[in-house]
Amino acid sequence: MSLTLFFQLLANGLVVGGLLGIVALGLALIFGVMRVVNFAHGEFITLGAYATYLLVTQLGASPLFGIPLALALGGAIGWLIQAGVIARVTERPELDMLMTTYALSVVGLGAFAAGFGGDFRSYSAGPSGSLDLAGVVVGWRSLTVLLTCLVMGAATLLLVQRARVGLGLRALAQNRDAAASCGINVIASERLAFSAAVALAAAAGALVSLIGTTTPTVGHGWVLDGFVVVMLGGLGSVAGALVAAFGIGFVQSFASYLLDDSWARIIIYLLLYAAILVRPHGLLGRQEHA
Amino acid sequence: MSRAGSTAALAAVTVALGAVAAALPWLGVSSYVRTLVYYACYYMALGQAWNLISGMTGYVSFAHGALAGIGAYATVIALNAQWPVAAGLAAGAAAAGLASLVIGATSLRLRGAAFTFATLFFQELVLLIVRKLPAAGGPGGLVLQEIYPTSLPYVLMVVLAAVATIAVAALRFSRTGVRVLAIKHDETAAVAIGIDSTRLKVAIFCASAAIAGLVGSIHAIFVGSLFPDVVFAVEISLIALAVPLIGGVGTAMGPVVGALLYVGMREVFQVVAPGLHLTIVGLLILAVVLFMRDGIVGAAARAWATRRRTAVPAEGG
Amino acid sequence: MALVEARAIEKRFSGVVAVKDVDLLVAEGELLGLFGPNGAGKTTMFNIIAGAVRPTAGAVRFRGVDITAVPAFRRARMGIGRTFQVVRPFRGLTVMENLMAAVPSAAARDGRPADLAALLRGVGLEKRANDPAAALTLGMLKRLEVARALALSPQLLLLDEPLAGLSDRECADMLQFVATVRRSITIVMVEHNVHLALPICDRAVVMDAGSIIAEGTPGEIRKNPAVIRAYLGEDAA
Ligand SMILES: Nc1ncnc2c1ncn2[C@@H]1O[C@H](COP(=O)(O)OP(=O)(O)OP(=O)(O)O)[C@@H](O)[C@H]1O
Ligand SMILES: [Mg+2]
Repeated sequence: MSLTLFFQLLANGLVVGGLLGIVALGLALIFGVMRVVNFAHGEFITLGAYATYLLVTQLGASPLFGIPLALALGGAIGWLIQAGVIARVTERPELDMLMTTYALSVVGLGAFAAGFGGDFRSYSAGPSGSLDLAGVVVGWRSLTVLLTCLVMGAATLLLVQRARVGLGLRALAQNRDAAASCGINVIASERLAFSAAVALAAAAGALVSLIGTTTPTVGHGWVLDGFVVVMLGGLGSVAGALVAAFGIGFVQSFASYLLDDSWARIIIYLLLYAAILVRPHGLLGRQEHA
Repeated sequence: MSRAGSTAALAAVTVALGAVAAALPWLGVSSYVRTLVYYACYYMALGQAWNLISGMTGYVSFAHGALAGIGAYATVIALNAQWPVAAGLAAGAAAAGLASLVIGATSLRLRGAAFTFATLFFQELVLLIVRKLPAAGGPGGLVLQEIYPTSLPYVLMVVLAAVATIAVAALRFSRTGVRVLAIKHDETAAVAIGIDSTRLKVAIFCASAAIAGLVGSIHAIFVGSLFPDVVFAVEISLIALAVPLIGGVGTAMGPVVGALLYVGMREVFQVVAPGLHLTIVGLLILAVVLFMRDGIVGAAARAWATRRRTAVPAEGG
Repeated sequence: MALVEARAIEKRFSGVVAVKDVDLLVAEGELLGLFGPNGAGKTTMFNIIAGAVRPTAGAVRFRGVDITAVPAFRRARMGIGRTFQVVRPFRGLTVMENLMAAVPSAAARDGRPADLAALLRGVGLEKRANDPAAALTLGMLKRLEVARALALSPQLLLLDEPLAGLSDRECADMLQFVATVRRSITIVMVEHNVHLALPICDRAVVMDAGSIIAEGTPGEIRKNPAVIRAYLGEDAA
């Protein structure tokens, strides 16, 4: 493999890693604050992708406007779903919680399939051309994706780590009852967390539509990788999650080139099994105390 | 004991109904009705398999469709290699059981959602791998070379549904069943009274997978050809859990009621809203989880109890 | 030989030292009281003896056998029964099924349903045998949990705050029941209500901030200055 090719694949891996980071951040936010595993996260990605696709093809707008559109749409829908559905199961047994988000995912999958059929959809509007850095060709689209991911990721982290609302979220992640007794508005905080996470997912979807094709299951694949990132990286550490996101991004990029897409996925899923063994309490093996 | 009595009564009724259903092909019933009965039994058996692990232990599986698919492939490969039917079916059950050990041995040592994740990824992984395997026909799939009379899978499926239902009922009221349910209610407390939860979970999952594998094996004989994207569609895993959920999780009657209802619904929706099948099943699951946790059987039991002694007992297992 | 011999036990939870360098011996047949303010490490010691939690250092022996690496379910089968500070009944199972779940397989094969009925009578729940545990009051659940631990036929019973949340009447009944059980079983009891619990103990151990600060007969413990200080400190807080 030539060095140029190597850097090319590295660049591709960065883009995939950035997107995965955003997806995983949303998953971790929801799990951290509500102890909910959001199997429907992928459908919000798909939502953002189709929204952008429609914006571009029906209204002739630039796909870049799809990003704020997806953020707003995702935020609103996330808010509604949290209030109408998720809030009802957060205190229930795990089985109910898993079923609920799984059912939401299925509803979304079915609706997208019914509405758009199985076609691969893409558009040509938007940033085009590429940047040639000593032979490594990086498309402006890919750069847009990576930069947007970095900005959104940094903004979310700042919000959680520094802002007052973030303090509420972190308190909630530690202990729901204690947070409530300290005057933190638990209901509003949970709604905010879910809505923000869904907004991120939808925005990721807008970006996905920019660099690839959109199908009813496009978000499903992304969210599975997102789960791998969260499980490998752990919930507690941002650094761990970043390493995992870009790591998976590189595995994906290199394995897709050297073997093919399916093998890339097979390898990533096998990595997940390894993760389950190595990090039993990583994110989702909720350790229990007597 | 009245419980043993009711299990025996249920077994008797199931056997009687099963015998009638199994005899339908020879009673001059239209093939449409026979197909409906077949599919009801197919969903019932698959639902019972899911019920066995997820309904009884509370560990949710999203991969029962994939386990059935493994059974289907193993059986078709075995039958195409001229194995007798019984051996082919056994191969299906064994293959799915072995696959369950691979998932279970890793993830069932852990509490919480690790198992569910393992099944979620297993569902995807199996499809990817089967499409790569030349022995499994790759993306093009496999065709069963010998043609069997439809009455063979028909009778087998009816019998399997009946046996699975009786097995779940018998387990529910056995001492082992009580220990399994203890894990579902509070695993820490269960371990503290000497229950080897890991071993029990793995064993139950293996039995559940073997039943799912058999369902797939029999269905493979019924349909005669396997396409990976169809056999390993997420939809089948969805139905496996929707059926018991609608009927009533953790009860022997739940999947029976759920399967009958689902078959009826499917017929209606195929006419009314052909493209929205997935969405409707998803919404139905949501509605049941949010508003009718113990399903139709549970709701009916509560209504019955209310009528009998005005006092409503707290929710039961 | 002591029934339980925990040596040099230390337990850290990511930074917090819950228990440090504790030696705890439980003699066969005694009723040992384990006291101490909130966060002293009492429940953690129970979890370590019962196997729910692995110590970061130290070893636990039961009847002379090193059980430090033995999983919790096997310790239960070896004869260590416990209750939980916050009750953990199997809510969807009936009262009788809660006990059935605990009967060891060997005993179940021999069939001893009469024992369970006697147990239920002992804790005053015989009338509720077929009710789901979810329908019981807290006082009943506490008694159910003791009965469930006893269904194991344990040699050692660990009671974590059996009186917490009970009415005066229920406290008296529970103490009465513990007094009956202790005739045949070794008991370690954690209790906040020292006034009620200390008199029935043979011996008491007092912990504070992860360490043992006093040990002795009930009379000695009452007069121990370190104990008085620890408790006054708690009251003042
Ligand atoms: N699973 C855990 N994770 C983190 N810290 C823990 C855990 N369990 C206990 N601790 C900490 O260890 C210390 C001892 O706790 P422990 O529950 O053993 O105290 P205790 O003596 O039983 O107190 P109480 O009277 O309140 O029941 C406390 O500071 C507690 O916060
Ligand atoms: Mg305690």
